[in-house]
Amino acid sequence: MSSDFLIDRLTQGLKPVHRRRPLVDGAILASVAIVELVLFLAFGFMRPDMPKAMDMPSFWWKLISLGLIALASGAVAVLSLDPTRSPRRGLRWTVGLIVLSLAAGWMIDAAHDGFGALLTRLDWQHGVQCFAKMVVLSIPAVIGLGVLMRRGAPTDRAGTALASGLAAAAWGAFVFVFACPFDDPFYVAVWYSLGCGAVTLLGRLLLPRIARW
Amino acid sequence: MAAAQDGNATAYRRLLSEVDAWLRRYYSRRLPPSAIDDVVQDVLVAVHEKRHTYDPNRPFIAWLTAIARYKWIDAIRSLRSRATVTLEDDVAAPSHENSVTSAWSLEKLLGTLKPAQAEVIRLVRLEGHSIEEASLATGQSATLVKVNIHRGLKRLAALLRNHPDEQ
Repeated sequence: MSSDFLIDRLTQGLKPVHRRRPLVDGAILASVAIVELVLFLAFGFMRPDMPKAMDMPSFWWKLISLGLIALASGAVAVLSLDPTRSPRRGLRWTVGLIVLSLAAGWMIDAAHDGFGALLTRLDWQHGVQCFAKMVVLSIPAVIGLGVLMRRGAPTDRAGTALASGLAAAAWGAFVFVFACPFDDPFYVAVWYSLGCGAVTLLGRLLLPRIARW
Repeated sequence: MAAAQDGNATAYRRLLSEVDAWLRRYYSRRLPPSAIDDVVQDVLVAVHEKRHTYDPNRPFIAWLTAIARYKWIDAIRSLRSRATVTLEDDVAAPSHENSVTSAWSLEKLLGTLKPAQAEVIRLVRLEGHSIEEASLATGQSATLVKVNIHRGLKRLAALLRNHPDEQ
């Protein structure tokens, strides 16, 4: 059976299309992210002790690690919207980056005060708040990447969704760094990992469904 | 395709006709003949809807193959949910060539799975036996049969996704 009827239908009234350009997609995503950051700071959510925090290595560890993870996984996600590109290799590099970041945090953490002290440092009441704020701040990036995924043609939807979830999670956490008053690497490693993990999982589960083609 | 992206319907029609013929050859070695029409049309629609993702600086065939393989994996996955119908003995059968080629490719793929997985996929999905019959024939529990079918098909899908494609 030939597909003549379908071909007739597809070619009828054919209109020019704008070619997809990864750089344009990246720029759109970066704009959404920057607008979110500017609004977040403009509404006065920045931590009051920012000048003091900037002298602490753990502040820069949080900011640089999350920025790099967001950048790397965002690039992997956007590039994998081309049907010929798989996100798998990029994801492996991103996971390596996350492990390196956590190892750097461990090196910064010089205190060894026993299990009881660890539980105190965990400060779960504030931790749960941090977790929730990170999740909320990642929503614009999840939506932006979801829209790009629907428009693109990812042939490994699971991998692209994982990279997108990771990028959105890391971006949400990056923005939150400007407000979060906690610099204890143990606290950061636990609560930020939980927040980023939850958003990544959510992206991995939801995005493939909305980006099916 | 570059001309089609600019709105040239004549070039686009010629391209889709060639793509249609290419896809039929591509799937003749990979799918049962009865499934080919649906998948080819599905790919043609996908090519149309995603034509803005083609970069004219790169080979068209690589772009098309990536889409064709993506839809092929989808078709293989749909085997999981498709009901099996037993054919009558007197059904007319014009030619077995395509079926034999597809079965040969499928056998090669099944050879890459664990024997327990390949055996239950062959019994339930290809030969149409029930889960209980497969369970009796293989000595695996009914639950294990289902798990092995699920894992085997998942592994096949992963293999198809990662394996370098052949023309």
